[in-house]
Amino acid sequence: MSKGVHRFAVLVACATFFLIIAGANVTSHDAGLATSDWPKSNGQWFPKMVGNLFWEHGHRMVATAVGVLTIALAAYLQFGERRTWVKRLGWLALVGVIAQGLLGGLTVKMNLPLAVSAAHATLAQLFFLTTVSLAVFTSRSWITPASTVNDGGEGVSIRALCVVALLVILVQLVLGATLRHSATWDQTLPTGLLLAHIGGAAIVTLVLGVTILIVLMRHRDEKYLARPAFVAVALLVVQLLLGLAAYITRTASPYDPQPLNPMIAVTVAHVACGALVFATTIVLTLRVFKVVRADRQEYVLAPA
Amino acid sequence: MLSKRARLWLGLIAALSLLSLASSCSNKPADEETTDKGKAYTAKGDEGTVSGNVSYTGAVPEAKKIDTSADAQCAAKSPNLMTEEWIVKDGKLANSFVYIKEGTLADGTKIGDYTTWPNAPSSTTLDQNGCHYKPHVLGVVVNEPINITNSDPTTHNIHFPQGLNPDWNQSQPNGAAPLQHKLAVAEVMVPVKCNQHPWMKAYVGVLKHPFFAVSAEDGSFTIKGVPPGKYTVVAWHEGGVKGTEQKMEVTVPAKGAAKADFTFGASAMGQPSSLPMMPAIEFPMTMKH
Repeated sequence: MSKGVHRFAVLVACATFFLIIAGANVTSHDAGLATSDWPKSNGQWFPKMVGNLFWEHGHRMVATAVGVLTIALAAYLQFGERRTWVKRLGWLALVGVIAQGLLGGLTVKMNLPLAVSAAHATLAQLFFLTTVSLAVFTSRSWITPASTVNDGGEGVSIRALCVVALLVILVQLVLGATLRHSATWDQTLPTGLLLAHIGGAAIVTLVLGVTILIVLMRHRDEKYLARPAFVAVALLVVQLLLGLAAYITRTASPYDPQPLNPMIAVTVAHVACGALVFATTIVLTLRVFKVVRADRQEYVLAPA
Repeated sequence: MLSKRARLWLGLIAALSLLSLASSCSNKPADEETTDKGKAYTAKGDEGTVSGNVSYTGAVPEAKKIDTSADAQCAAKSPNLMTEEWIVKDGKLANSFVYIKEGTLADGTKIGDYTTWPNAPSSTTLDQNGCHYKPHVLGVVVNEPINITNSDPTTHNIHFPQGLNPDWNQSQPNGAAPLQHKLAVAEVMVPVKCNQHPWMKAYVGVLKHPFFAVSAEDGSFTIKGVPPGKYTVVAWHEGGVKGTEQKMEVTVPAKGAAKADFTFGASAMGQPSSLPMMPAIEFPMTMKH
């Protein structure tokens, strides 16, 4: 396994994160229907990118670049990786990015139906999850034989906690995507969805908080697990503050002639930070699965 | 367990299905005839008018300057574009959509019984000029062609979001031929927006009859050709999420005139009037729709 594969996987993950930011800008600017055609914009591959077309067509261009990078990564893994399941994950990523592109086209062609737009936003997060996982699986710390450590913890399984945390974050991301696509900035947010998203934030905070607390209580001195745990808790705090700020800035915007930059910036940051919380939790989860045995009788730790 | 080849074929079929769905889901035309067939009204020569003024009391909300810098052509053509939500001059309010909502003619028939009127307009024009819509508020009868023109040196997209009428979204480059759109279902009001220039907004009132008007800059309006009878007249004005409206009962005598004056003010603006931090959770205080 060469360092090149890992570096390239990290590049694809970073590009995907940038793509999520670009996509969030499309929604916040209400630019999704800036052109009624797809995949071309106003009948052109390279239109004049003025007004909201900058965001919509820019998103398409970034998405194309990520698609090409994903093809390259899948091919790179095919020839530069020995583990069959990692190669398959590379092809799965490619299937994911193709499906994501088709969902993007579908939602434009259907004039942004809520279900398709929310599915597009959710698949974006799942694709990001896949690219981050590939970066983890190709990393030196994952491949290098691990040393054994003891875990003094009893009771609840860290593995199970991490999986539950991932699932509640995913549900929260789906709720957030649905809330976001159910009303543009000049419309009232649906109360039920808003309350569900706020409730989801409380549940994520509880589950992820407990998970991180237990990880740190049992493995505080083990950087391999403690680092992503600390990053996750920091991102969670930032995410909660961004969520509150997103709501405040949005309530200040409905009667403005256009979405204002503070609302756009904060809301996009909230989407991006949500993706990072998800990504950090998958890193923590994979590492937990790597070093903590299921029977919790023996623990191994990879070098940090 | 499926073989590798079977999984490959399944994946290909799924991808092709999504692709074909994406390409086939073009914008649905909204000009399907969905109105039921009713009676045709025959003019009897005793029709009258409903006229009046729309006023505004209290502190007038300031028009906000629109940042058009996202499109250099818009910035050059309309460097000082302002919001058009509340255009008030000497206490008179422009751009209110005034219409007969319901009522009974002198012969006992309901106004809603008729779907064909002798004085119905044949078409109207909505122009994109200076990166804003002219007019800002207009009325049409169901299935009346709306000719959409682009007088700007930039591309617009004109978007009628889904309401009672289906979603309709079309791009219109500068210099392109006018587009035509029909709204088949009565709906007050249908918003119009441009997703390229998100500040662009217009409102279309769609009725089964031609008894509507938009208040002029001096707040005045006149609805002509109204059969004698008793009617509920409504004045709608944008503001807030869905606008706000005032109602009034009038009687139109044969060959006579009925007066209907409306007053909007801070209490009827559709602005959030309860806890401003939680507008999504508050009870609507001023929305009428």
